[in-house]
Amino acid sequence: MAFKDIELNMGPQHPSTHGVLRLKLTVDNEVVLKVEPVIGYLHRGMEKLWENLTYTQIVPLTDRLDYLAALSNNLAFALTVEKLAGIEVPKRGRYIRIVLAELQRLASHLAWAGFMANDIGAMSVLLYGFEAREDILDVFEEYIGARLTVHGIRIGGVPRDLDEALVSRIRGVLSGIPRRLKDIRALLDENRIWKQRTVGIGLISAAEALDFGLTGPALRASGVNWDLRKSIPYSSYDEMDFDVPLGSRGDVYDRYLVRMAEIEQSIRIVNQALDKLPPGEFMAKVPRVLKIAPGQVFQTIEAPKGVLGFTIKSNGTDKPERVKMKSPSFINLQSLEHMCRGNLFSDVVGILGSMDIVLGEIDK
Amino acid sequence: MSKLKALARKVFLLDILQGLAVTLRLYFSKKSTVPYPEKVKLPAERFRGIARLYRDEKGEPLCIACKLCQHVCGTKCFDIEGERDAASKRMKPVKFDWKLERCSFCSLCVEVCPTRAIRFSREFRMAAVDKGSLLFHLPEMYLNGEDLQNFLCAGCRE
Amino acid sequence: MSPAVSDFVIPVAKIAAVILYPMVMVVVMIWLERRVVALIQGRLGPNRVGFQGILQPVADAVKLFFKEDIIPRQADKLLFNLAPILVMFSSLLAFCFVPLGEPLRIGSYTLTLWIAESPVGLLIVLGLSSISVFGVIFGGWASNSKYPLMGALRSVVQVLSYEIPTGLTVLSVVFFARSMDMVEIVRRQEAAHIWYGFMLPVSFVVFWISAVAETNRAPFDLPEAESELVAGYHTEYSGMKFAYFYMAEYTHMVLASSLVVILFFGGWLPPFPGVKFLAFLHAVPGFVWYLIKIMFFLYLYVWIRATFPRYRFDSLIKLVWKWLIPLSLINLLAVVAVRYLL
Repeated sequence: MAFKDIELNMGPQHPSTHGVLRLKLTVDNEVVLKVEPVIGYLHRGMEKLWENLTYTQIVPLTDRLDYLAALSNNLAFALTVEKLAGIEVPKRGRYIRIVLAELQRLASHLAWAGFMANDIGAMSVLLYGFEAREDILDVFEEYIGARLTVHGIRIGGVPRDLDEALVSRIRGVLSGIPRRLKDIRALLDENRIWKQRTVGIGLISAAEALDFGLTGPALRASGVNWDLRKSIPYSSYDEMDFDVPLGSRGDVYDRYLVRMAEIEQSIRIVNQALDKLPPGEFMAKVPRVLKIAPGQVFQTIEAPKGVLGFTIKSNGTDKPERVKMKSPSFINLQSLEHMCRGNLFSDVVGILGSMDIVLGEIDK
Repeated sequence: MSKLKALARKVFLLDILQGLAVTLRLYFSKKSTVPYPEKVKLPAERFRGIARLYRDEKGEPLCIACKLCQHVCGTKCFDIEGERDAASKRMKPVKFDWKLERCSFCSLCVEVCPTRAIRFSREFRMAAVDKGSLLFHLPEMYLNGEDLQNFLCAGCRE
Repeated sequence: MSPAVSDFVIPVAKIAAVILYPMVMVVVMIWLERRVVALIQGRLGPNRVGFQGILQPVADAVKLFFKEDIIPRQADKLLFNLAPILVMFSSLLAFCFVPLGEPLRIGSYTLTLWIAESPVGLLIVLGLSSISVFGVIFGGWASNSKYPLMGALRSVVQVLSYEIPTGLTVLSVVFFARSMDMVEIVRRQEAAHIWYGFMLPVSFVVFWISAVAETNRAPFDLPEAESELVAGYHTEYSGMKFAYFYMAEYTHMVLASSLVVILFFGGWLPPFPGVKFLAFLHAVPGFVWYLIKIMFFLYLYVWIRATFPRYRFDSLIKLVWKWLIPLSLINLLAVVAVRYLL
C-alpha cells in the first residue's frame, strides 16, 4: 500500500490546529502536495451583528476576534472610529494605550511560544509561557477587571488612569519576564531537536511573502522591514525608541527568533512609555451618543499577529452602516500552502504554529 | 573558536544537558497552584464578577430606574420598569430582569450608571444547572455569597 | 525442603512475582510520570486521589476497565484483539531472564532471584522484546484506518532500526564480560571494581538513546505523537485494550531500564565498593540497590519527555543510520583494539 496522493484530513477537532480549522492535505508518501484550509467553523456573523450596535457597544465585541490579544482589536477599532469622527486622543491616553498594547503583544507572543513548542513536542514550554502570561493577565485584571476579553481601550482614550501603584506593578511584572524568557530560550534556541524541526522548514522568500500579502512577524522573518509602528506610526509610537527584529531566511526558526526578539522589544517599549508618561487627561471628550457624519475610513495597526485593520462606513447615525475587518490571520493563512508544499506532513503542524493564527480572527 | 565550541556542543550533547538543567531547576521551584476549593484566590478589586445591585448605607436601593444600563447594553440583558416611590419621591425599580446568560461582562452598564447602583462583584462562581437560574429578578439581584450560590444551584439540589 | 515445595511452589511463586513486579512498577510509573511531568511544568499533578495522588493509577485502571470496548466495524477482529496481547506478552516474558540480585540463602535452600539463567540470557531478552513489533503492526493494520497504519509503520521502522545500535553496544559490554549471561555480567563488574557505564561511556550513551527510541518514548515518540497523528497505532483502541498498550509501554520502559542497569551500572551492586568508610552501603540488600537504580532511569525517561521537542521521523531515522550505527561500530572496534593493546 503506497501513500500516493492520499487525502488526509486534519479535521476541525485536532489538538494542533489552533482552533477549529480544517486542513485538507494531499500527501504523496508523506510529502505535502496541496493544503486546502477550510474555515468558517467559528463564524459568528460579527460584521453583520455590528451593523445593529452603536460604536460603543461594538468595542467589547471586538475582544472576541483575536481572543489572545483582545486589546489590539480594541485599539484598532477605536483608532478607526476616532479617525472617522475626528476625535483627538490626549497624550496621556496615547501613552497608556502604548503600554496596554505592548503588554498585550507580550501576552500574545508568550501564548504563541507555548502553543508552538507544545505542537512540536516540548510540552513544558507551554506551561512556562502561560505562567509568564498569567502575570500580565493579573495586571489587566487589576487595571480594568478582565483578563481575556479585556475591553480596556475605548473610543477616545482609555477608561482608567494608570496610577502609581499600577505603574510599579507593571514594572515588577516586566522585571520577572526576562528570567522566564531565558528559561524558554535555553530550552529551545540551541536545542538540536528544535533546530532540526524548524530550520529550513516552511520557507517563504521576501518577494513571495509580499505577493501573498503576509504581514506581521512572519513577513519580518523573511527580511522585509515593514512594521506599522515604524512605517505608519499611530498613537505616539513615533515617540518610542525600539528596534524591529528581522529574519533572513524566512523559515520557521526565523519566525520563532523574530517573535522572541519582539518580546524583548516590547518590554523595552513599555518601560519607556512608563518612564515618559505625561500628565493630563487620558480620555477625550466623546459625546454619550456618538453620531458620526457619513464617511468611510480605513485604519490599520500592527497587532501581534500582523496588520489588523477596520474599514468603517458611517451614515450619520450612531450605528455604522458597514464594518469590514481585515484580519491578519485570514490573509496569512493563504500562504500556508506555499510554505507547506514540499515539506513533510509532520512539518505542517510546526509551520501552522509558526504562522500564529487565531480562528476567532479568521472566522469573525 | 566558536566553530570548535559548536562542535563540542554537538558531540558532548551540551545543548541537551542545558535543557535538562533548566527543567531540573524548575522541578524544584515553588508551584503557584492554588488548591481550589480549599483555598479560593480572591480576584482583584476591579474584577468583573457577576453584576449585582447595591444599596446605600441606609439600606435604600441606589437604583433609580433610569434605564441607562438597558440602553447601553449591547446584548439586551436588561428589562427594567420603574415607578416613583410615594414616600421619598425618588424613582425606584419595580421590575429589574437581568439575564446572566446574555451578559458579555463588557462593563458598559456599570460605567454608565449615575448612582453606582449596578456594579460587578468579585463573585466568579456563576455556574448554574438550568437556564431558569440565569434569569435574575429584582430581589435576586441583591443576593450575594451563599444565598447567590443557593439560587444558582437550585436546579441541582436534589 | 520437600520436592513439592522446591519444584512446584517456589517456581510458581517466582512466576507470580515476575508478573507482579512489572505490574507494580507500571502502577508506580503511571503516578510517577504524571507527577514528575507536572512538577517540572510548574503545576501539581494528581494530588487528590489518595496521599499525594498515589491512588491515581487505581482510578485510571478502574476507569479504563469500565469503558466500552469499541471494535471498528471493518477491523480485522483476530488481529485487533491479538495486538495488545502480543505487545504485553513479549516484554513480560523477557522478565523471566532478568536477575534481580544475588541468590538468597534461606536455611539450606538457595533462592535465586531470577526464573531462568541462561548462558545466552541477554540474547533471549533482546529477541523477546523484538516480538512486540508484531503487536504494533497488527494493531495498526487491524484498525483499518489511515492514521493508525501510518503510526504503526513508523513505529516498526523505528524499532527495527534502533535494534542495531542496541545490539552493537551490548556487544561491546559482552566483549568485556566474556559472557552473555546477565548474572555473569554483573559478577564481572563486581570483580573488575568498575561499572561498565564508566568504562564504556559512549556505549552507555548510545544504548540509552536507543533504549528511549525502542520504547517509543519522547523525544522519539512520533508514532504516537498527540499533536500530529492523534494517537498513532493505538488510536482506535479503547477500554482495557488501550490499557494493555499503555501498560505494555511502561513494561518495556522497565525492561529497558533493567537492561541498562544490569549491563552498565552494576545491577545489584552497591556503589563505591572499595571505599572503607562507605562499607555500610553493603548492608543494604542487592535488589534494593537494583530498584534504586531502576527508579533513577525511570525518572530520567520522564525528565527527558518533559523537556525536549519531538524528532521528526526522517531525522529520527537519519540519526540512527548516519550517526548511531557508525558510532557504535567505531566504538566496538575501538573497545576491542584498546583491550588487546593493553
